[in-house]
Amino acid sequence: MKIGLEVHVALPTKSKLFCSCSPIAEEPNTAVCPICLGMPGAKPMLNAEALKISVAIARALHCDIIDNAYFIRKVYFYPDLPKSYQITQLDGAVGRGGYVRVGGKKVRIRRVQLEEDPAKVVREDEYSLLDFNRSGVPLNEIVTEPDIGSEEELRGFVSELRSILYYVGVDIDREMKIDLNISLDGERVEIKNVTGIKNLIDAERYECKRQGEIIAAGGKVKTETRSYSAEAMSTVSSREKESDEEYGFIYDPDLVMYPANTIRTDETPIASEIAERYSAQYGTNAETVKELVMFDRNALRLLRHGAGNGKIGTAINAISMLRRTDAMDIDEKNFDRMLEYMGRGMLLSDDAIKALKAGNDVEMSAGAVSAEEIDKAIMEVVESRKDLVAEYSTNHKAFNFIVGLILKKYKVSPRYVSERLSKVLETKLK
Amino acid sequence: MRSSIDEFEEKEKPDGYYERTLKELSDMNQKFHIFSRMPQSMEHGFQFSVKDNICVDGVESSASAEILEGYVPPFDATAVERMRGRGFSFIGKTKMDEFGFGTFGINCAEHPLNPINPEYVTGGSSAGAAAATAVMKYHVAIAESTGGSISCPAAFCGVVGFTPTYGLVSRYGLIDYANSLDKIGIMARRSADIRHVFDVIKGSDRYDTTCIDREVNADKRTKLIIVDQLMQNIDQAVLSAFDRFTSKLESRGYEVVHRSIPFIEKAIPAYYIISTAEASTNLAKYTGFKYGKKTEDFSQGYNEFFTEARSSLGTEAKRRVILGTFVRSASVKSKYYEKALRLRRMLIEAMGNVLSEGFIISPTMPIMPPKVEEAAGLDPVKAYSMDSITVPPNLAGFPHISFPYDYSGDFPMGAQLITSHFNDYALMDFAGAWEEDFEYRFKYNVGSL
Repeated sequence: MKIGLEVHVALPTKSKLFCSCSPIAEEPNTAVCPICLGMPGAKPMLNAEALKISVAIARALHCDIIDNAYFIRKVYFYPDLPKSYQITQLDGAVGRGGYVRVGGKKVRIRRVQLEEDPAKVVREDEYSLLDFNRSGVPLNEIVTEPDIGSEEELRGFVSELRSILYYVGVDIDREMKIDLNISLDGERVEIKNVTGIKNLIDAERYECKRQGEIIAAGGKVKTETRSYSAEAMSTVSSREKESDEEYGFIYDPDLVMYPANTIRTDETPIASEIAERYSAQYGTNAETVKELVMFDRNALRLLRHGAGNGKIGTAINAISMLRRTDAMDIDEKNFDRMLEYMGRGMLLSDDAIKALKAGNDVEMSAGAVSAEEIDKAIMEVVESRKDLVAEYSTNHKAFNFIVGLILKKYKVSPRYVSERLSKVLETKLK
Repeated sequence: MRSSIDEFEEKEKPDGYYERTLKELSDMNQKFHIFSRMPQSMEHGFQFSVKDNICVDGVESSASAEILEGYVPPFDATAVERMRGRGFSFIGKTKMDEFGFGTFGINCAEHPLNPINPEYVTGGSSAGAAAATAVMKYHVAIAESTGGSISCPAAFCGVVGFTPTYGLVSRYGLIDYANSLDKIGIMARRSADIRHVFDVIKGSDRYDTTCIDREVNADKRTKLIIVDQLMQNIDQAVLSAFDRFTSKLESRGYEVVHRSIPFIEKAIPAYYIISTAEASTNLAKYTGFKYGKKTEDFSQGYNEFFTEARSSLGTEAKRRVILGTFVRSASVKSKYYEKALRLRRMLIEAMGNVLSEGFIISPTMPIMPPKVEEAAGLDPVKAYSMDSITVPPNLAGFPHISFPYDYSGDFPMGAQLITSHFNDYALMDFAGAWEEDFEYRFKYNVGSL
């Protein structure tokens, strides 16, 4: 199986791609102007911020950046396209020839390009409405080579790509629009306009099954364009694709050449690669680290800081605790103090973590306690309440009761106490 | 010579001057169909007209195209905004060939007629702009040229027409014909007026990326270059008058030399390929949805709906849309569109080399103004060949000016002077010097003081 994707994401800019309108507005047709409405006489002007973000994305995808980016007109007739052409890039694309690492494999990126979003068609029963708020919103189209070979790789790729986009600053909670190209026997079927990751996977499964059944029955898959229906969870043929569509591309003569390679961008961290590197370097569990840092800037910041101080293991635990207490925005200095407490074998309650984050010292009463002390307290209860211990294997309430006794005295994590108690009881009963 | 703008400022305006001027102008408009839209009352001040393809806030701007009837832009073109900002008063929208598609000014409803003799064409596509300049004394026209739309009507109506270096005047607000070729320019009765207005409208504009700020030069050239290929197929009457003109210039100290420029004879096909390719994308928006005539029948499929809406395009517009769509289609693009782009690059270089040596001078048009029915009877290829002299500087973005140098009967004969990029002032200096002892003749002087 070969899968290739064309992923469209909206860029986090303050204005649209070719005008000053806001790219986000609630009330339909309020964020519009002569330019994004394509009024006769109006001309586009490129949003430099969009170009810069696009370059950052292309670099994060290891693309070569074009010296001079340019724009072309893609002509087609549809009500959502006020000029009847879309300004896009193709050969003038910002980036080409990149890749995304998925597991041990590279999924090649053919092209990263800037283009304008058409208006939104709102379908009613008897008629359709057009909302031009979306017209001219800056999109990045990311086109892969057909290098994705399985559903697992598809999931892996999407997760990697979303993580990279997250670190560039893209709002990954906004719906992605994806064209899915999938072929089992060489004939390419394109499924247009799949929105969201869940639909992408469902569409891929359905199409895989559909094509598989055709082949198993001795038939041949037709090259065509299909569309996915989320309600029916299936794809339907929209038109046969005998040759490439005719768009009559020409250079957009209202726009010029834009030096792209010289644009400076911050380096985008590739979270999964960092996780792999730490795993190789410090023997940490790559999956655990990925889980922490793929979609969390603060986690990555703190992890890098911890690794820099040679305390990566403690940092991983600390970050898990911070996430639980919703204290990820702790600064480096206080994070260092936290690592120091933990390094001394102290356990930290939620209140203690909050105090540390606020820059306060943590007293015993606020919940910092050493591991030995907890062990000692557990032993004391176990010795003094033999009745409960006897019941513990048959009555889980007894177990929880012991944990509760400890927590009454120490404001520490219930999970930690449970773990220690289990250990103690296991060794005792053997 | 002083500009008429300064002259107008200094003169006393008698009571009822503006009312009388507007009345006289309306009468002229009745006769010669100059304006597509005129205001009810006249704003006080020096008047400027605006070609119908240049947007004026709140005024219907249809590029004289039926399909765009009713389009009222909610913004001023940058050039219009700058004129108003400097106290000029807007007098009306001037008629033109539909979207700029034409050489004679006859491709629109109730097309303009030449004020010198209404049986003759004004030339196009800035037809009304030239006619307005020919009838009105204190007035300048904001016009536009893609392939000769300022030079040609200026020559046929006996006024001065200036087309600047591509990129010096913002195109924001111009209803596009061919964006890489369209230039907003000026028509007036004196070169000094053109210089004044050019300084008002030129200069970079954030709304037009292709518009730049550059120092404009006035480098005088003493050599006048006649490009032999441009002198083919010129009417004998035009040729002999032009010979007398160049002899006169020689006697004034100019050196006249002959040169040939490689590929310049290919400028016409290259121009019609690039301009129609771009035009066919620019006109794609007139589908009856957001822009263009709305049809009432919504039960049809999209393609039928679009086809019906686009049936109100004129014949020449349809021809150019079809031609332009063909030359950019995937199977022939490299043969036409891309080749034409390469030819344009070569021509910019070749013409640039020659222009560093001197001005290129020629008659503006190969013929005298034809009668309306003669022009209407020309087949398209013959009509396109009438642009053979005006197209090369337009294709390569070189500034050029057309001014009257002689008269044959009532009709003026126009000469076209071309210079290097950004040497625009030199053209006005040259024509201005010519005006010192060659008086232009105007049959009408509406608004004289």
